Amino acid sequence: MKKWIAVLAVLLTVSASAYAAEEKAKEEAKCFPVYTDAKSPDNHFIPSGWMGDFGDLSMDDKYMGEPHAGSTAIKFVYTAKKTQNQGWAGVYWQNPANNWGSKKGGFDLTGLNKLTFWVRGEKGGEIIDKFSVGGIKGTYPDTTEVSIGPIELTTTWTPYTINLAGKDLSYINGALCWVANADSNPNGATFYIDDIRFEYDPALKPAGKKTQDMPFYIYADKGAIQNHFIPSGWMGDYSDMKIDVGAADNPYFGKSSIKITYANKASNGARWAGMYWQYPANNWGGADGGFDLSKATKLTFWARGEKGGERIEEFKVGGIMGEYSDSDTAGIGPVVLDKEWKQYTIDLTGKDLSYIIGGFAWATNLDVNPDGAVFYLDEIKYE
Amino acid sequence: MSNTEHREQSTEYRKRGGRNKLFPVLCTLLSVLCLCGMAPKASGKKKVFIKTLKNGHYQLTVAGKPFIVKGVCYNPIPVGKSHDYDFWADPSQPWMTDGELMKKMGINAVRFYQAGEDIEGMRRVISDLYKKFGIRTMMGHWLGFWNYPAPFYDDEDFRKKVKADVLAMVEALKDEEGILFWVLGNENNYSFSGKINPWSSERIDKMQDPRQCLLARAETYYTLVNEIAREIHRIDPNHPVVMGNGELICLDVANEFAKDVDIVGCIIYRGKTFGNIFKSLKNTFNKPLLLVEFGADAYHAYDKKEDEDMQALFLLDQWKEIYRHVAGNANGEGNCLGGVMFEWTDEWWKHNEWDAAGWSRHDTESNWSNGAYYFDIKAERNMNMNEEWFGLVKIAPEEDGALAQDAGVLRSNQRVPRKAYYVIREFWKHPSKTSSIKVSERPGPGGKQESNAGAKSPGTPFQRHT
Repeated sequence: MKKWIAVLAVLLTVSASAYAAEEKAKEEAKCFPVYTDAKSPDNHFIPSGWMGDFGDLSMDDKYMGEPHAGSTAIKFVYTAKKTQNQGWAGVYWQNPANNWGSKKGGFDLTGLNKLTFWVRGEKGGEIIDKFSVGGIKGTYPDTTEVSIGPIELTTTWTPYTINLAGKDLSYINGALCWVANADSNPNGATFYIDDIRFEYDPALKPAGKKTQDMPFYIYADKGAIQNHFIPSGWMGDYSDMKIDVGAADNPYFGKSSIKITYANKASNGARWAGMYWQYPANNWGGADGGFDLSKATKLTFWARGEKGGERIEEFKVGGIMGEYSDSDTAGIGPVVLDKEWKQYTIDLTGKDLSYIIGGFAWATNLDVNPDGAVFYLDEIKYE
Repeated sequence: MSNTEHREQSTEYRKRGGRNKLFPVLCTLLSVLCLCGMAPKASGKKKVFIKTLKNGHYQLTVAGKPFIVKGVCYNPIPVGKSHDYDFWADPSQPWMTDGELMKKMGINAVRFYQAGEDIEGMRRVISDLYKKFGIRTMMGHWLGFWNYPAPFYDDEDFRKKVKADVLAMVEALKDEEGILFWVLGNENNYSFSGKINPWSSERIDKMQDPRQCLLARAETYYTLVNEIAREIHRIDPNHPVVMGNGELICLDVANEFAKDVDIVGCIIYRGKTFGNIFKSLKNTFNKPLLLVEFGADAYHAYDKKEDEDMQALFLLDQWKEIYRHVAGNANGEGNCLGGVMFEWTDEWWKHNEWDAAGWSRHDTESNWSNGAYYFDIKAERNMNMNEEWFGLVKIAPEEDGALAQDAGVLRSNQRVPRKAYYVIREFWKHPSKTSSIKVSERPGPGGKQESNAGAKSPGTPFQRHT
């Protein structure tokens, strides 16, 4: 009898140990580090994908001054000098290093549902346009892309979460990326990131599209954190256009307005030109990035011409159609601009604004502006 | 008076039990005519009208039954000929081959853009399509839009001429059993801003403000459409009038000046979805909607090869959305009467109508750009729409022996259905189910990783380029 009890005890002990090990393994499986400390064997991705004005970037991935946890954090310095003339910069964590989708190096992170990380700014006030998971294309594309931002940093370590619940994480090569621009950070930005990891949270629900509160600015001032959408959709004779989002000469309100210069060269052979403010940048309907602006009943903006008489054929919202399409469109025009500031309104009554990628756009042509056109925009907002 | 209103007023009249003093005289006259075998045929069965259901949905009724338009634009120009070819008189009678194929697919209506010169020839085609294949005809009229010089809609003589021309067509064809609708215009509203066929007048130009000029042109055009619609109702109360409008542009003006049209016919090229058009129309011009022209081409401008899957995928999504918004579907707006795909066959003359040599060549150079057709939008200069490749059926190439030299005309009646033909056929059989024919979802063309912000690249223009 004693013999049987002893055997049972041993079996129970072994089972308990096995159970504990399995649970531990499960716990470990519910966490997948991107970066914990410099040279940690737990790190799975490399911050190798430098984008935009990469000459403006420097990085220390074993920075030892006040890490959030462990012994090191990653320090980024962005000088905003526009070395490559891009006006923005960013970094992707990839596997293997410099993998823009040409190699099958991504991980299957199915079962995890969020990415968490800690960030602090050197001075506070640094603005990061977005933090993203996924989004690398190529032969082996990431299976999802989710972003948060813009975010204004403080000098204290702050945790951020990217909700990945319900997303397809079966192949992730671009674990995290950040993007900042020179307009929002005219004096550059120094900031620190630490303890980046994918995790599982059983209570986390898939994020629905948040209905944005009004007013919802497209442009308030150069670099203002309340700005949304990016003037990235250059159309027609794009070589003939210049845009200065920080024109300080006679803004309607605040410190700056947007100055648009359209030269009469027809350099690309189109004889017309226009621009979309998009989200994310360059999104012609290929990325799932629309805002829910259902609360808006109108879009207002102020405009003036350099000389007066400049004719804009159309100002509009929405209308981008692609794999992901704007849910509606509305516009006004033609409009002949005055030399003085004048407010214009696009009526959005009855429109479906539940998904808007193309927040604002204008278009005109050389037939009605034979000498080209210089005009200004300010205070563009949904209300 | 619109067809809808006409019917409503008739109903109201019946409800009141209304009769006038001439009623006994009319009864006597009718009896005499009957005895002489001259009584007018009962028109109830062939009458086409729109019923407004209790829930506010619009339902098309044809011969006493609900009718969803499963239509296709029909312009059977043979290889080697251009738009001015009189297909109504084509001795090879392509409509016989096409009608049979259409019937097998489930198409119940064709749309012609413009009447021909030969009334008897037109009657024969309309009659053949209806009597042999059960396919009804939507007869269109350009309203002088492609006249040279520009269409002067603000000129009284021009208006009279256009009106007379349309009414002569209606008078000549209204008793054809196969007639379903009259379709007035096709994207004529794009001329208000001068994008296509610009026109104006001294009266309008005096306004100077371009927005006011645009609105004045819209008012001028829509009042003409309204006058014609009203006249058509007078001489033919049996067939509704459709107004062919590009997108929803300026329909708020039409709401004020074209109240007598029965149906808004929209020409829409928005890729896989029509977006908010069904709801939007209710807010701007609350009339039944017929998508009189939509579709997708079957040429992949980036891969530079025919792509039947791509076309089938777009068309299937478009038809699913149309069915979601027809009367009786609680999940939709209930204001859609159906759709008319562009188009039945490829047309080989379209890339460059002035190059006669090109009429015998299936051109692959794109004519316009549209980012909503996103599979091939990364083609050079974003030019991805191939005007000669919109057919549900293609014309067999010459080496297949389908073409024959006949009186100096290269002709082919041999049709090769594309994948979309079968996919839509299956969808129509079971609209509530997903088609059993698989259409592969494929990513667009791959490419080098692009930047995430601020890159300067040519984009997609607002409107369809024609």
